[in-house]
Amino acid sequence: MLTVSCPNCGADVVFRSPALPVKVCDYCQTNVMRVGDELRDMGKAAVLPFDVSPIRIGTSGRFDGQGFDVIGRVRWGWSDGSWNEWLMLFGDGSHGWLGEAMGQFMVTRERALDGVRTEMFRHLASGGDIQVGESGELDGVEYIAADIKQATCLAAEGELPFTAPAGWTIDSIDFRTTTGAVASFQRDGEEANLYLGRYVELGELKPQDLREITGWAMPRFAA
Amino acid sequence: MSEGVQPAPAPAVKPLSCPACGASIELRAAGYTVTLVCPYCSSVLDTANPDVGIIQRYSKAARELEIPLGTRGTLKGVDWEAIGYLRRSEGGTYPWEEYLLFNPYHGYRWLVTDGRGWTFGTMLTESPKYGGSDGLIVDGQPYKSFFRNGRAQVDYVLGEFYWRVRQGEEVETADYVRPGFMLSFEGNEEERNWTLGELLDGKEMAEAFGVDEPRKWRPGGPPPLPHQPSPYAGSASTLGKLALLGIVALFVLTLIFGGSRNEREFEFSVTPGGGEVSRTYGPVSFDRPWQAVTIKAQASGLENAWVDLDYALVDRKSQTTYAAYAIAERYSGRDSDGAWTEGSRGATTKLATVPAGEYDLVVDASGQNWGFGGSSGPVPVTISIAQGATFWSNFILAVILLLVPAIIVLFRHARFETARTAESDQGSALANMMQGDEDE
Repeated sequence: MLTVSCPNCGADVVFRSPALPVKVCDYCQTNVMRVGDELRDMGKAAVLPFDVSPIRIGTSGRFDGQGFDVIGRVRWGWSDGSWNEWLMLFGDGSHGWLGEAMGQFMVTRERALDGVRTEMFRHLASGGDIQVGESGELDGVEYIAADIKQATCLAAEGELPFTAPAGWTIDSIDFRTTTGAVASFQRDGEEANLYLGRYVELGELKPQDLREITGWAMPRFAA
Repeated sequence: MSEGVQPAPAPAVKPLSCPACGASIELRAAGYTVTLVCPYCSSVLDTANPDVGIIQRYSKAARELEIPLGTRGTLKGVDWEAIGYLRRSEGGTYPWEEYLLFNPYHGYRWLVTDGRGWTFGTMLTESPKYGGSDGLIVDGQPYKSFFRNGRAQVDYVLGEFYWRVRQGEEVETADYVRPGFMLSFEGNEEERNWTLGELLDGKEMAEAFGVDEPRKWRPGGPPPLPHQPSPYAGSASTLGKLALLGIVALFVLTLIFGGSRNEREFEFSVTPGGGEVSRTYGPVSFDRPWQAVTIKAQASGLENAWVDLDYALVDRKSQTTYAAYAIAERYSGRDSDGAWTEGSRGATTKLATVPAGEYDLVVDASGQNWGFGGSSGPVPVTISIAQGATFWSNFILAVILLLVPAIIVLFRHARFETARTAESDQGSALANMMQGDEDE
């Protein structure tokens, strides 16, 4: 754990993961970036709009036998809605994303595109386009494009592997399968990233420290 | 490990003022809700962005709903709040209603009804697998195709939704069923969704959301729901098993209590055409309070002749007589098809309930030849009398009686299933065929 002072407001900024270079200051929403020993002010993130998500920074749980803590979030919007990507810091120091959209959850981890030979993903990585319904196989799983949209970063909080300035626009493509496995492809013109994972029930993550919401009982699985 | 103290509980609703009519309204699923229909003016609002916009302006009061939006109910141990309402139809026909349920920890569910029952729907996160001959498989459970190539449109909207709802918007639909469950597809060029619906118990739904229990299905009434389990399926199978058990038990009992004992024989002879012979055999004693008595006759050398046998079992004390009649006959010959024989040289007679006592068996026998070439000399007749009998005819009668309830229930089950599948794209062909038969 590393504690520094926010270059903008001077408040304590705590980095839990040495691997993650960015933290949004809890007090002034400044994107604080660590570059070596130096701290950079990367501009302000937008304030998160209110939502009734049951997840918060500090929520913990287990996924595939490994404990995790939620330490960051990016909120994405598109023409017909918005969703959360919560950053999960696993016990071994690696990280993943807990996607939350339309009341459903999915856990994904980044898969380096270098080793991916799937024509569809290579085509996307080189800037090509695909249609809903197109599919490609990776590691024996058939991924079918289910949703293609442009997403804009609305706001961010906590620690992040990248700066997430408000207004940052990306192409986002979701893939489904017949097994509950999912893939998500994102690119912003400079960089492309592939994330693989699966749908989860919130209860199967054995979550602790969920967010309390007035008038709603904590679910049995979190008690 | 948590970071510091738990913050104060988040509010459950976000207050808004309707940009169309100015009324203060509440957003119940803030962050998810994209479309909100104002309950005061029915204007369709865009809540995807912090600045709430008007998509379509109306100024009419919302309809009253069977489950007013904001109502909470407990289903499957989880509290759900009704936050959205859709009235849908197939091009204006077959209308149905859908309530969107929300719980911030459990996400969204659906309550669907067309007045015949309530179905609790969960959106699937995986596509069903193909299960052969038009069927699909989800979680190892098979679903049969019921409706194909349907179209569903939105006729009326109220409350809030996590997608852009448009009145008049249309999707393609298909439905698959197994008893108690319905698997529904909705799709267009942009999206394909599968929902798994579970038919709720009427009482459970009445207790959870205060709605009226749907009426039970009656023959001649509206058809059952496509996924309504036959109320007779269980009892048909139970009654069938019970009947089978009863048949086996009866068979065993018939064997145990059937059979005969204390068999005694005597012999005499009769000459066909030679007048009546009367013989008395006794005493024969029966020791049980009541018993069946079997009398067998065997006329071994009989050929193209018959022997009439009149039995009288006479109680020595009371002179009460139990009478019976039998015939032993045998015919044979040769024609263009070859040799033939007919009749039986033996005859078995059963007396059902004879009281205990000492009896004499009186046999009056007379033989007749049939045409020429019949037995000419005396024919030996062996009579045996025994206590007890096996009544196979009674057994068969009992089997039929045992099967009656199972058959009635099976008939009702078939009638229910015919009514249930009559609306189906598969069943309608069958129903038309049956209709055609009736018309002929």
